[in-house]
Amino acid sequence: MNDNAAIEVKNLLKTYKGATVPAVNSISFTIEKGSIFGLLGPNGAGKTTTISILCGLSKATNGDATLMGLSLKKQLAEIKQLIGVVPQEIALYPTLTAFENLRYVGNMYGLRGANLRKKIKDNLEVVGLSEFADKKIETFSGGMKRRINLVAGILNDPKILFLDEPTVGVDVQSRNLITEHLHQLNNAGCTIVYTSHLMEEAENLCTAIAIIDHGQILALGEPKALIKEHSTGNLEQLFLKLTGKKLRD
Amino acid sequence: MLRLYSTIQKEILILLRDRGGLMIMFIMPMAMITLMALIQDAPFRDYQEMRIPLLLVNNDKGSLGSTIDSGLNESKIFEITNLQLDKDVVKQKMKSGDYEIAIIIPAGASTMLNSKVSSFVTKKLNEVGFSDSAAIAKTDLNQELNLEILFSPETKKAFKASILSTLKQATSKIETQTLLELFNKELKQDDEAKSGKAEPMRDFVNFREINTVETPAEALKLNSVQHNVPAWTIFGMFFIVISMSGSIIRERDEGSYTRILTMPGLYITVLGGKIAAYLLICLIQCFLMLMVGIYILPQFGLPQLVIGNSIPAISIVAITAGLAATGYGILVGTIFKTHQQASTFGAISVIILAALGGIWVPVFVMPESIKIFAEFSPLYWGLSAFHKLFLNEGTIKSILPYAFKLVLFFVFTLSFALLYTKNNRS
Repeated sequence: MNDNAAIEVKNLLKTYKGATVPAVNSISFTIEKGSIFGLLGPNGAGKTTTISILCGLSKATNGDATLMGLSLKKQLAEIKQLIGVVPQEIALYPTLTAFENLRYVGNMYGLRGANLRKKIKDNLEVVGLSEFADKKIETFSGGMKRRINLVAGILNDPKILFLDEPTVGVDVQSRNLITEHLHQLNNAGCTIVYTSHLMEEAENLCTAIAIIDHGQILALGEPKALIKEHSTGNLEQLFLKLTGKKLRD
Repeated sequence: MLRLYSTIQKEILILLRDRGGLMIMFIMPMAMITLMALIQDAPFRDYQEMRIPLLLVNNDKGSLGSTIDSGLNESKIFEITNLQLDKDVVKQKMKSGDYEIAIIIPAGASTMLNSKVSSFVTKKLNEVGFSDSAAIAKTDLNQELNLEILFSPETKKAFKASILSTLKQATSKIETQTLLELFNKELKQDDEAKSGKAEPMRDFVNFREINTVETPAEALKLNSVQHNVPAWTIFGMFFIVISMSGSIIRERDEGSYTRILTMPGLYITVLGGKIAAYLLICLIQCFLMLMVGIYILPQFGLPQLVIGNSIPAISIVAITAGLAATGYGILVGTIFKTHQQASTFGAISVIILAALGGIWVPVFVMPESIKIFAEFSPLYWGLSAFHKLFLNEGTIKSILPYAFKLVLFFVFTLSFALLYTKNNRS
């Protein structure tokens, strides 16, 4: 076991019921502690399935993974205490206020009282939403919702943070704030696993990437090294070279 | 515990801010109770209390006419009007809807009945040599004595049967009395008999109506209020299926479900919080509905709801019915993919279960073939338990079989929902 690994994936296989082709086909990779790891791929490539398995949302058909040295198969309850998840959907209750939503999430992690209130206050300040704490989520703009969604995922100070397209559909300012905050979290020691279709953002943000298609890893390593290795100008060109230009559903 | 408490708090906040949902959960059942109790008041009275207008044209001056009159009065089914009218006028009054039933007793009916009985007895005694030929009756036994009964087309079979029974009883009584008098006279058994006066005919069997409960019988009749309040209370509790399944589906659609599954703790804890919040709503609903029956409905001229004397038993019924409703809500919310599917199925299935369970009309008036299905409706179990308490002064022991079935239904629906979730996630 690699002591420096935040996540070690070994021969992970997932075949959905009734499917003839596996969504994830015996993939193995390691994510170092303190890295920002980008899981990139076209639609249906298998990245969301991979993240779902690593978060405990879905069970692998075969293979296993360890997160911070804990087995996904055997120690899922402990793993859940260590991870944070920011789903692609705005996973918040629209008729509750930002504070009420975050209080609920905090309580679910066992946080309460003054400690929880301070965490909520500090995080809202960081994402620039302090004055909206008592406003209902349904009154928020798309960018504001994304920022609260991010706060809900990091309230428990996770060791590993999973983000599924955290900046989709937001304005440049909000995107900038979110990526800056992710850098801050990473500097504080949080390992970040991130999926995106935005290659430029991934190239700037990630310290390591995996390009995945048809459930298999096509490239794995540091973005700059991979670009050099495949003699492409940037990550987007590398992505297209490896996954092709054919349109996906 | 914190997770459970927090989920309950979250659910209650969401419910309180959903005005449409609150309307469905509280205002609609209260309105339904009031409306249905008012609408069904007349049919229930018709069934148990209402009297049928009857016109009695008694042209007879003797005992037959008066016995029929008193017999009809004693039945307490008819509102009797005594008038001396021609048959044509009687028909006219029936056509105009003034009376549903009319009875015409011809003049001299008592005399003719006595003569016919007398002739019959004398003839029979003569045949066995107990009488002299001089006493042979002069009345022709084939001469007809007809009491005329007029029914309007809408008269129910039960009322026709009741009329005919009363008339039969009255004529039998007169016939028996006359027979006794004649036998006494002919056999000359004692001095009193010689004078031709026999002891008046008595009833040898008496019928006493005894209440099986201590509350005044009037209060415990299955009237519109005693039926509709518990019935629509149960219906209202089960109608939370729509809100509850909607809440589960929204959580799934909006991604909160995904977040919940990635957070520490078991999913059953989250469901437990949801169940507790909706159970609380059910209990508040039940309390309000019963209060409507006790305090609001009498303001509309309806009888006051009588709830028996076992509050713990009522609480057990309310809690177990609430659990059954929440279990069903979770199952519907888990199985169906969209809110539209869940709300349509939820509403229709509850209406069907309500119809089978005797919410709309009591089960005892349903055809036998349908009554069998009532046994499978959780709404029937809840309603039957309430009826046991409200109409029969039932105790905790008497409602336990129904409470057990409701809890079993809750366990079954929740287990099925959890299994379905587990299978879908793997």
